[in-house]
This record gives sequence, structure tokens and C-alpha cells, in this order.
Amino acid sequence: MNQCLVWLTGGNGISAWFAEFARTFEKCFIREDRYKLLLEGIGVTIKISLLAAFLGLIIGFLIAICSLSKNKLLRFLGKVYTDVIRGTPSVTQLMIIYFVVFATVDLEKWIIAAIAFSINSGAYVSEIIRAGILSIDKGQTEAGRSLGLTGVQTMFYIVVPQAVKNIFPAMCNEFITLIKETAIVGYVGLMDIQKAGDFIKSATYLAMMPLIATAIIYFVLIKILTTVLGVIEKRLRKSDIR
Amino acid sequence: MIKVNDLHKSFGKLDVLNGIDEHIRPGEVVVVIGPSGSGKSTFLRCLNLLEKPNKGEIYVDDELINAPKVDVNKVRQKMGMVFQHFNLFPHLTVMENITLAPVKLKKMTKEQAQEKGEELLKIVGLSDKADSYPVQLSGGQKQRIAIARSLAMEPEIMLFDEPTSALDPEMVGEVLDVMKNLAKSGMTMVVVTHEMGFAREVATRVVFMDGGVVLESGTPEEIFDHPQNERTKLFLSKVL
Repeated sequence: MNQCLVWLTGGNGISAWFAEFARTFEKCFIREDRYKLLLEGIGVTIKISLLAAFLGLIIGFLIAICSLSKNKLLRFLGKVYTDVIRGTPSVTQLMIIYFVVFATVDLEKWIIAAIAFSINSGAYVSEIIRAGILSIDKGQTEAGRSLGLTGVQTMFYIVVPQAVKNIFPAMCNEFITLIKETAIVGYVGLMDIQKAGDFIKSATYLAMMPLIATAIIYFVLIKILTTVLGVIEKRLRKSDIR
Repeated sequence: MIKVNDLHKSFGKLDVLNGIDEHIRPGEVVVVIGPSGSGKSTFLRCLNLLEKPNKGEIYVDDELINAPKVDVNKVRQKMGMVFQHFNLFPHLTVMENITLAPVKLKKMTKEQAQEKGEELLKIVGLSDKADSYPVQLSGGQKQRIAIARSLAMEPEIMLFDEPTSALDPEMVGEVLDVMKNLAKSGMTMVVVTHEMGFAREVATRVVFMDGGVVLESGTPEEIFDHPQNERTKLFLSKVL
């Protein structure tokens, strides 16, 4: 905050402001190669997010199938899963998975974190997939079955491809939420973007620049992602064009 | 070809079919008529087990198909079904709609299915639409594609569940024409419809249903010109 006031009221003009900015920038990112922490953090965040999204999708699909099943026990298990995950904070889940469930398992830290996030994300994904499958008209299933396709074939060739198109926007949202959610992995000692920014803050006693930088990095990552997903969505909509 | 004995079906407390006996022979075109809620569609849907009967027997080619261990999918491959609302797969092109089932069920190679598809599109008069998506077609065109899609599996029997009820009036003719040609080619057909003109012209037998039972069955002349049952007379006086 003091820094800020100095910049705004210092009166030495723009050149002084730039000099101060450069000095702070050097201290935050160049000195002791601190930018490398952030780069490393970006890698960790991306790694965890991608693996968690992938596993989350699989878990979500399986849970959705359970929730839609005719079997009462499977339906019950699906409901319990989503209830428990949605009813507890993700930090708590992460710490339980990390310090309790995988306490004695020899796996790389980031993989354990990714598993924790996938378990969390899976609950939300399952609800999205369930809604997506239910949104497809029953006539589609009947048409598939009447041709002699099995239930599984009908699901995979007819229902799921249409559901994917419907749930794509919601899935993108979930993926974005997941990326931001990973900012808590510092709790289990992983150096992601957030933790790197926090570390620089502690090491330099400068708060604004490292934290703003952290925010900008997340923003840019997610902006790139949404742009790519937007292109994919457009392609999925190919069959809607009259 | 299809033999039905004492077929019963209820949805919860609602009894829809109350004992139907029917025998459909190869090459027959059976048109089922009757008021709304009489069980016509349910009867048709029982034939390929889209609805599971509560009681009774359905034999297709002398095989009891509503027995526990029957491969329902195999049975359904012998029976094409055309729905009131077409139910084309909107995410696939017309050609993909037609070739999906024969290819996935390993009945044909992709090339064979394509060839068959082109042949069928010619029959229904839509050769130029192979690469279109369903959303780009009119109702009549969709239904003709749906018929082609069913025919691609080379079924022995075709079931039509009110195939023209969701169409604009000017499109009904094109669909009925396709069905007439199909009947002429000797296909065994069971048609639930409100098109009395079609029934009169194409049916080899007309079945009148009401209250979940078959009340009267006979040639179009017998049913339309000399109905015996009072309810048949009443129904026909309203629709003709």
C-alpha cells in the first residue's frame, strides 16, 4: 500500500514511477531467479488440472451411470457420493486424501493432489452428465434400440454424442472452476502458481506485485482455455446449422 | 410370422391391452385403427418389446420373443420401426443415420452400407440429401429418411406407429407413397394410422381396436363398408 502511495503522490513524474516499478519487478521476479518459481507453479497447476479433469470426467461418468441405473443400490451409492463431496469443503477433502488416505502410499505429490481434485470434480461432473443424458429425448433411445442396437451401443453412439453437445458449456465451466480450485494445493506443500506468488510475497515483503502477477497468470491461462473451448464448441454445433 | 396370444399390458393401474390375439402372416399389410387411447400404439410397441407385456405370448417366426433368455436385439433386427416423431439422430448426417446400425451390428461393411444407403435414398426419393443433417429436412423428408434407416437393416417386418400424424398435411402424401411402394414390394407391415384412405387402399386387413381389445378385423371392404360391431360403426361415422 505504501508503495502505491509513493507511486501516486511521489511527484517525481512518470520516469520515477517507472524506475520504482522496474526496481520492484526486479526484486520480485528477477532476483534469485524468482520467476522460475512461477514458471514451475504454472507447470504444477496445469499438470494437476489436466489429470484431475481427465480422472474427474471418468469418475463423473461412472457416478452418472450409477445414478441413472435401475439398480437401487447403485443409485444410492451415486447419491451418497455426490452428497458427501458437495457437502464438504474441497480443502478438507484434499487434506484428508493427502494426509489420511494416501499417507502411506508412495506416489508423487501432484498425482495425489490430482486424485483428490478428480474425486471432488467427479461429483459435479456426474450431475452435469446425468442432466445431459436425461435431456436427450427418449425417442432417440427407442429408435436406437428398435434398430437392434444394444443398450450400451445406443448410449455411446446416439445418446452420449448428443449429450456432450448439450453439456459442453457446463463442463467448460466445471473445468475452469477446477483450475481455480487447485490454488489450494499449497495446503499440502505443493508449489503451484498461488503458492509461488505467496512465497515471493513472503520473501520480498512485497504484496501487490506478486499477487497481481498471480492473478494475471490465472486469468491468462483461463482465457486461453476458454478461447480454445469456444472453438471446439462451435465445431460441435455443426449439425445444428440449417 | 407374428403370432400374439392373449396379450396384456398395463401401466401402473391403467390397463391398456386386455387380451389381444392376432396372427400376422408374411406379406400382409395390417392397418390398425381405433380411437385415441385404444391401445393401438402400445400393441405395436409390444411387438418389438419397446413395451414389455405383462402377460401373453408373442411369437416371431415361431420364436417366443418375450421369454426371459431371448436376445431381444436380434429379434429387433428383424423388425424395423417408424415413429410418429421420426426420431432421426440429429448429430448424424442422413447417410450416417442410415448406415449406423448395419455397420455397428456388423451386418455390413461400411462400403456395403453406403451402397445400400444410396439405393434406399433413391427409393425414398432423397438421393441429394445424403450429406444433410436432419435439422435441414422437412417433416416429410425426415420420415422418409426414417423409413430408409429402418430398411437398411433389411427387416422382415416393418412397424409404423402413426407415421404421418406429426406431419403437415401437404407432406402426408409423400410418406404414404413410400409406404405404398413398400407394401407393393411384398413387405410385411403393421401400420397404426388415422389415414383411412391409406387403410382402404393399401391394407390387406384392417384391425379395429378399442378399450385394449381387437373388436373387429377384416378386409378394408368388410370394415369400412359393412362394419359389424357397433363401436366400429360409431368410430367410422366420426372419422369418415
